[in-house]
Amino acid sequence: MSEETFLTVKDLKKSYGEGGSYTMVLKGVSIKIFKGEMCVIQGTSGSGKSTLLNCIGGLDSIDSGSVGVAGTLIEGLKGEKLSNYRRDNLGFIFQFYNLVPNLTVRENIQVCEYLSKDPLKIDELISVLGLTEHQYKFPSQLSGGQQQRCAIARALVKNPKVLLCDEPTGALDSKTSRDILMLLEKINKQYGTTMLIVTHNNSIKNMVDHVIYIKDGEIAKDYYNETKTPAAELEDL
Amino acid sequence: MGWILFKRALRDLKAGWARYLALSVLIIFSLFIVISLMGASVTVIDGTEKSNAEHCREDGEFSVFVPLRDDEVRKIEEKGVKLEKMFYADYEVSGSKVLRAFKVRENINRVGLVEGTMPEKDDEAVIERRFAEENKIKPGSKIKLGGREFTVSGIGAAPDYNNMIKKVSDSVVDSKSFGLIFVTADAYDKLYASGDSLSSEEYYYAYTLGSQMSEEDLKKALEDIEFKLSDIDDEYFKEYWERMTGKKDDLLEGIDKLKDGAKELKDGAKELADGTKEYHDGMKELKDAVPDFKKGVKDLDKGAGELAKGVKEYTGGVSKVASGTNSLSKGTKVLAGGTKALDKGAKQYGDGVNAYADTAEAATKSPNPYVAGTAKEFAGPAKQLATVYSDIQKGVSGINSGVVNLNGGTKKLYSGMKLLDKSGAALKNGANSLHKGTTALRKGANELAEGIDKLYDGSVDIKDGAKELADGAKEYSDGMNEFADEANKFVDEFFDIKTSNLMVFMNSKENPRVDAAADDVQITYTASIIFGVLLVMLFAYVISVFIVHTIDQESPVIGALYSMGVKRRTLMLSYVAVPVLVSFISGVIGTVLAVLTPAGIPAQLQDSLSYYSMPEVKIKVTPFILIYGLVIPPVTAFIVNVLVIRKRLKKTPLSLLKNEQKAVRGKDLKIKGLKFISMFRLRQMIRELRAGLTVILGMFMSLLVALMALNTMVYCGKVKDYYVSQTKYDYMYSYKYPTEEVPEGGYEAVAEGLRKEIYGYTFDVTMFGITKDNPFFDTGDLPDNDTDVVISSAFAVKYNIKAGDEFTVKDGNGGRMYAFRAAKIIDYSASLAMFMDIGRCRDLFGKDDKYFNVVFSDHALDIDSGRLYSTVTKSDIEKSAGIYVDMMGPMITVMSTASAVIFTVVMYLMVKMMIDRSTFNISLVKIFGFRNKEVRKMYLDGNFFTVVIGALIVIPLCKFIMDYIYPRYLVSNVGVGISPSYPPELFVAIFLVIIGLYLVINAVLTGKLKKINPAIVLKNRE
Repeated sequence: MSEETFLTVKDLKKSYGEGGSYTMVLKGVSIKIFKGEMCVIQGTSGSGKSTLLNCIGGLDSIDSGSVGVAGTLIEGLKGEKLSNYRRDNLGFIFQFYNLVPNLTVRENIQVCEYLSKDPLKIDELISVLGLTEHQYKFPSQLSGGQQQRCAIARALVKNPKVLLCDEPTGALDSKTSRDILMLLEKINKQYGTTMLIVTHNNSIKNMVDHVIYIKDGEIAKDYYNETKTPAAELEDL
Repeated sequence: MGWILFKRALRDLKAGWARYLALSVLIIFSLFIVISLMGASVTVIDGTEKSNAEHCREDGEFSVFVPLRDDEVRKIEEKGVKLEKMFYADYEVSGSKVLRAFKVRENINRVGLVEGTMPEKDDEAVIERRFAEENKIKPGSKIKLGGREFTVSGIGAAPDYNNMIKKVSDSVVDSKSFGLIFVTADAYDKLYASGDSLSSEEYYYAYTLGSQMSEEDLKKALEDIEFKLSDIDDEYFKEYWERMTGKKDDLLEGIDKLKDGAKELKDGAKELADGTKEYHDGMKELKDAVPDFKKGVKDLDKGAGELAKGVKEYTGGVSKVASGTNSLSKGTKVLAGGTKALDKGAKQYGDGVNAYADTAEAATKSPNPYVAGTAKEFAGPAKQLATVYSDIQKGVSGINSGVVNLNGGTKKLYSGMKLLDKSGAALKNGANSLHKGTTALRKGANELAEGIDKLYDGSVDIKDGAKELADGAKEYSDGMNEFADEANKFVDEFFDIKTSNLMVFMNSKENPRVDAAADDVQITYTASIIFGVLLVMLFAYVISVFIVHTIDQESPVIGALYSMGVKRRTLMLSYVAVPVLVSFISGVIGTVLAVLTPAGIPAQLQDSLSYYSMPEVKIKVTPFILIYGLVIPPVTAFIVNVLVIRKRLKKTPLSLLKNEQKAVRGKDLKIKGLKFISMFRLRQMIRELRAGLTVILGMFMSLLVALMALNTMVYCGKVKDYYVSQTKYDYMYSYKYPTEEVPEGGYEAVAEGLRKEIYGYTFDVTMFGITKDNPFFDTGDLPDNDTDVVISSAFAVKYNIKAGDEFTVKDGNGGRMYAFRAAKIIDYSASLAMFMDIGRCRDLFGKDDKYFNVVFSDHALDIDSGRLYSTVTKSDIEKSAGIYVDMMGPMITVMSTASAVIFTVVMYLMVKMMIDRSTFNISLVKIFGFRNKEVRKMYLDGNFFTVVIGALIVIPLCKFIMDYIYPRYLVSNVGVGISPSYPPELFVAIFLVIIGLYLVINAVLTGKLKKINPAIVLKNRE
């Protein structure tokens, strides 16, 4: 983790609906993430943590405030530029993997390889993620954990500046979740990838540098762990 | 690179291989047919062009009564025109077959050999290809006609008989019964000399135009050529000619009489004009005298007025005189009384005086002197007194008498005055009457004057009218002279048409025998291009429905890829890759199969070759056909799929990640009283609207193909049935040289060949003048005027004419136009025909009262063949009518099958896709406890209604479209007018076939529905 502020969110507001169904999901959220930092955004269901992640990822529009990633302000970006922003800066990991079902593990990773000018070496990545023996299998032939590894590899292959993980262990059992978290930890160390992990799992906060707790669309807590618990030692996953 | 995503597309293709294979087969089949048709069309068109060039196809042809003399031919050929004799005569071969014999052509319309050689010996012949094929004649075969046997040296085709119709007005080719034979010049002459020909020799010439003479010039030159009767060998023609020229003289004589009559009319009118001028002058004088007359009458009236006044005064005077006379009468009466009394008194006084005088006398004598003295003194005077008094008495008596006379006079005067007074009243009345009379006379004189004025004006008009009449009569007379001249010319021209040697003049475009195959396939070519694109579009759209289904399923994956920065274009291309690839590969296979296999272009070509007579042609595939087959399918698929799926891929990544679907169509639909399952089914139908519409679209496309086949089937079937059932005569004899006497048992008619154009093609329309007792045409009472005609249903249908419509037709040479009104339409499909009374028909076309050129009969008549153009029997019609059905049968089967396959595959794929899409929901409702039957009702049975509603819309729509297309593009070159309207039961049958196909598909898919395991829900959740 460097001292360089890499991701900045200022007074971010986001609402959905109109009239009676109007809901203010984010009520002026401001956060700072340093380069190489592992950050967990926690909160209860409906607190606004996924919305925050989506806004940072340029997947959702913002009402007001600003989001800056690696010097790029995303408000006002549309279409091709927004797509380029995501392409150049971000990697995504989702709860349900979202792998292309009729591409092999390797091919799923290759899909994103071409998006980067400076991709990671696929074989190395496959090896790091423990997918070597599964690289020619289709997602339907893999377990959930293996699919999520594949999804991580796909997100990482283009060597993103920020890895946005939305409930990466949400669909996994405890053991597999630990494996995935260990992997993320390893990647963070190995590639220095800044990670933003949205989770409702309370244990994960112990393995990261930075913890942000959102409650009702506002930052309830924002702190840095003085000591981190390695993923391998996390309990109650 | 993005190519990885194309691997996905390929695997998708592999995963859905069955459906893509089915669609691919359809595209291959469609392209195969389309490219085959296009290739065959191009081959025929190209082959025809090449053959025309190689064998020097005519620019046109004409026939003459008498062969042209050498100098006439030379004169024409000096203008760069080339002529080729194509004289022919028909001969019976092997029973009912007819071969038309020609000499071998040297320059124009040369025979293109398919096999063998041209005849070199007089006993050798080339047989026309189609006849040879139908009758299994090969080089070396023997054929006997006109009592002579020929060895077939070769098989070939001539450019002027591309469409092997016997007469140019025929609509059906019957190559089994009619063909051509080409022999050497000597053999031809010997053959004709045998006298075994079915009809007299026809003198046809083919021509090619040079640069110096136009078609019109040639026609004019031919019309100007006359011939001598001595040139004519044909006895029937000579007889005909003499009869016709006799008629000409009658006509010319009639025209002269008309001319004389006009002259007389002119003279009479002139006399009339002169007379009216005189009359007018008299009237003018009369008019001029009117003012004096009026003045005289006025004076007379005034005089009468004064007379009446004078009479009145006179009668007043008379009355007064009468009254005075009356008074005088009364006075004289009184005077008479007085004078009578005076007379009486005078008498008495006289008596007294006398007595006194006597007394005085006597007293003188008195003794008393005194008395005597005194008496004496008195006696003298007394005597004197008596004497005087006697005179007085006489006077009084005279007065009395005078008074009596006066009284009598006054009485008479009064009486006269009374009479005068009485006659004075009459005089007064008379004077008054006279005045009234003169007043009336004056009024009458005024009216008379006005009348004279009017009469005068009238006389002016009469004079002018008479002058105009005279001028008109003069003009009429002049016009009559001109008319007579023109009529003479017309008669000359008219008789020229029949006898100026030129009988028929027809350029190659007007000749239905020439280039018919190329014309025919041109329509096929255009239709194939359009239909091919439409079919590829349909199949591409079907594929796009699958792609949309895949996109919906893979929505979160697409969202994830978008999140990573994968661009829409890349994804779009990856999704479009499948339909493009399938279409491309299918297109390639279809094109290759069409071009390289015998079942492709060669088979389609066979359709033309087995109908039209043409030499062998080399298959030609143009670059356009290759581009069409290889490029159109993928490009169409690309465009259709991009248009369909671009909206789906336009969603935001988040929306895709969340797999947000549009509000489900029909979710708010609520119908009271509808049971849950029915409501569910209705919503399911609405949800699957796209697939439902695709089914209907597929139904539409396949029905278009099916109805094209059915229209053809109905059309050919009707030709077969109607031609036979509506032809009531057994023999129709067409005369070349009519006689005056109608053969016993025959019904004479006048047939006049007219022409009418529609959709770019001109067909012969025959005007039949028939007798009232003709039993072969149900015309009812024929119209009793020259403009109304009864028309055949064939004519009405072909030219869209309804009863009451007016229309025009041209004569055979196109120079004269006739306008008619369709008074009635009769069911007669065998010919484009009009009917009118034979007498009116003769008048209309300038024929004599006994003229006829056709005889209908219900049995064979004994007519010299030399007089006849042709004999058509009912059995000929039956045979030719059946040819359409035989010829089109395979095409109808192929198209019907193709349409059923298209419909079945499209519907199967769509309904299956609906089930696939609902697999999760189906397994869920199964978990809820719904039985298979209920699940089928919810998810499958709604399609029944889609199919039913779709069929009810699409069947009439397709029929409407096909009925529009069919006459305009598919049978526009056929001289047949038959409505391809369906009997109601055929519509029901089409509907039932659709429903039947649906039920089969439904049964198959119900099995799939049963196999859906509820565990899928759990599996998916995991």
